[in-house]
Amino acid sequence: MEFPVFFWAALGWMMFWGVLGSIATRYVYLHKDLDTSSTRLLGSMMGAATGPIGLVPLWIKTPEITTRLIIFATLGTLGVFMTAFALADPGNLCVTNGSFVASQISNGVIIGIIYGFMALGLTLIFSILGVVSFAHGEFYMIGGMVTYFMTTVLFPEVTPIVGIAAACILTFMLGALFERLFLTPMYDGRVDRPVEYGILITFGLAFTLQYFVQATVGANPVKAKRFFDFPRLRLPSAEDPWLIKTSRGNMELFETISISNPRFTAAVMCILVFIALMYFLRHTWTGKALRAVSQDRQAAAIAGINPDRMNMLAFALGSMIAALAGAMLVQAFSWLPQVGAIPALRSFVIVVLGGLGSIPGAFLGGIIVGLVEAAGTGCIPDPQKAASYIPAYGMIVLTLTLLLRPTGLLGRKFASGTHGKF
Amino acid sequence: MNKKNIPQMAGAALIAAFAIFPFVYSANDYPYIMHILITGFFYAILASSWSMLAGYAGQFSFGHMGFMGIGAYTTALFSHYLYLTPVPTNLCTEFPIGDMYLIILDPIGITSSTLTQDCLRQALDIWDGSVQVTPMPVWLGIALGTMMGGIFGLLIGLLVLPLRAAYLALFTLGFSEILRATVSAEIAVTRGQAGIELPYLFDNGITLFGHQFDKTDKLPPYFAMFFLLLACLGILTWLAKSKFGLFVRALREDEDAAAALGVNTVRYKVLVFVITSMMAAAAGAMMAHYIRIISPNNLIILQMSLVVAMAVIGGVEHFVAAALGAILLEYMLEYLRNSFEIGPIVVDMTTWRLVVFGILLMLTLRFSPKGLLVPMIDYFKRGHVRKETMAKRNAENTP
Repeated sequence: MEFPVFFWAALGWMMFWGVLGSIATRYVYLHKDLDTSSTRLLGSMMGAATGPIGLVPLWIKTPEITTRLIIFATLGTLGVFMTAFALADPGNLCVTNGSFVASQISNGVIIGIIYGFMALGLTLIFSILGVVSFAHGEFYMIGGMVTYFMTTVLFPEVTPIVGIAAACILTFMLGALFERLFLTPMYDGRVDRPVEYGILITFGLAFTLQYFVQATVGANPVKAKRFFDFPRLRLPSAEDPWLIKTSRGNMELFETISISNPRFTAAVMCILVFIALMYFLRHTWTGKALRAVSQDRQAAAIAGINPDRMNMLAFALGSMIAALAGAMLVQAFSWLPQVGAIPALRSFVIVVLGGLGSIPGAFLGGIIVGLVEAAGTGCIPDPQKAASYIPAYGMIVLTLTLLLRPTGLLGRKFASGTHGKF
Repeated sequence: MNKKNIPQMAGAALIAAFAIFPFVYSANDYPYIMHILITGFFYAILASSWSMLAGYAGQFSFGHMGFMGIGAYTTALFSHYLYLTPVPTNLCTEFPIGDMYLIILDPIGITSSTLTQDCLRQALDIWDGSVQVTPMPVWLGIALGTMMGGIFGLLIGLLVLPLRAAYLALFTLGFSEILRATVSAEIAVTRGQAGIELPYLFDNGITLFGHQFDKTDKLPPYFAMFFLLLACLGILTWLAKSKFGLFVRALREDEDAAAALGVNTVRYKVLVFVITSMMAAAAGAMMAHYIRIISPNNLIILQMSLVVAMAVIGGVEHFVAAALGAILLEYMLEYLRNSFEIGPIVVDMTTWRLVVFGILLMLTLRFSPKGLLVPMIDYFKRGHVRKETMAKRNAENTP
């Protein structure tokens, strides 16, 4: 970085006005007896973007806080931050090289879709059982491991769909079994504090599963072969009469954006499964029952839905989704028994950012976190450090969300079940 | 003998047994057993302070190992980067303190020793042995580490004030992950994955009971850790028995109700964070000086899982039981390390023991949520109460 002092000074300025804005705006709105629900977010974003220039009119006029206003202020903050970064580090690849930026953004979106998909499982479990599954990362890891063994070790000839299906069936059954054996005491008051019990028991499951896999498979990283090859389109010619040639390389768009094959296929499959899942949730009886239980447990029970069975289904389904994400990413990353920790943490961040129990929120949050991570890894000057700090980027997002908008982007104000409420 | 006093007497007997154990035990594996016990005491401090935080106050924080790491890294960096010399080096950043100079080494990380040397080593080459360099006292480092743990506990405590249950667990887990990432990324300062080395706990040896102990002897660190454990348990007992314990338990059961009844929830929530993180940091600082190296691997989630499992299996709402559980389970973990063979299959127990541990944790939670040791303690105490009430009832029924 060429002018670090300038960058940190700008950041300090933004933070000062952001903090002041979030506190003072809330105070002003409270004083004038207005709705204060989004004042923290708007005040901090307005303060960070414009400083006193925007804050003072806001305090004087106190307009009704609309989503549009918040989005404008947030975009302004982003713009100011990026301008400061570009001015402070004019030689950075993120500032000078447009195709690098385009590449980072497209990769961020693609990986964000997969993140969002994994977080979807967690939000399903969270909205129905009211439990954060700390074993989510372990199901992700198991999904990848099973797929690796099915496609690379046991049956190398078989289509990868079989491996993915095996991973799904296994984790679905494992999730259902665990829920029946260990989570049932939570529902009928047999444990004093069900939320804490849920945290601890899934934590124990994560620990057990991780070391069970390590004991049976070993701690060496494994890598599955990629599932599909990209078709390469080329005009037929005399020496090459076929229209379609396969290629193992990356996809190049407009000769600037490079997208790696495994991630792209994973994202496409995630979208397909997501559509299937949405159909299941919106158009089948079981799916509707699941959503009903997540909205109001007692009312659903009165309408003839067995909430306990929905608990089992939700946990099994959520675990299966995590495993599916793992099964698709096993072709992109090398796989270890410890591989689940960071994706699990990331899923939590996405769920909180998107809003509890919100499925579109999970996808939006996933894409945002994917972009933030792509920006972090691409733009921090020291690449080794940038890679080491990957868990920290998500945590910054989480901290900001919890401080500024605890309900998340698209979150409901309340949900049923024994949630860890605020 | 009163049945109610049995747990207390057993506790006193146990303390006495641990106190005389190093003097009477003299088998070949003496250093090994001592090492297990020191590690056991270390985990006992962590498990008992975590049980205060999670079991008493209901704050399920997964950042306890992070506070341990803050204590350990503070003392490691303190002893690694600060020295006292009588003459200025004119190479390092230095401040005069009295007639000495406080030298702050420049962080160079892991570099080839032939290419770059830190400024003090260059100065030593120039002086050629004519100047005596004094390292910082170990105890000051441990005290600083404890304080730093308290400061971070205060910050984290303030940050997590509005968070409950799952949010708190996630946030603290993230905090500990960020800490681990920072330590592994800032290689120039912390040496990253290679870990940073520390001086011995008693660098010049120590004379105890009229016997000169070498710096590598296990007995002085054994008693240092043992007394730290006793001090922590003493403080925790005192806190639990005082108003603090009552308020903190009220916080656990219903924060809103506690606040409505006049408990200053903010103060007690932050206070319990500060106290328990100071204990974790003190344990971490002392342990780091005993094992003499601290690396980011000491901060991984496995370590936190071990502490949680120990506390839960001992009894998460009873910190003495949590401490005992930690010592027992640390011994069990070491005992299970021996691999064995079933016919042609070699079972590598170094990993399987952790699986056993995880299953034990889940079964304990499911079938005996109070832990395995607490029901035993309760048996004696409750038995007494029941007898007394029965006697009272009998007396009332026979006028």
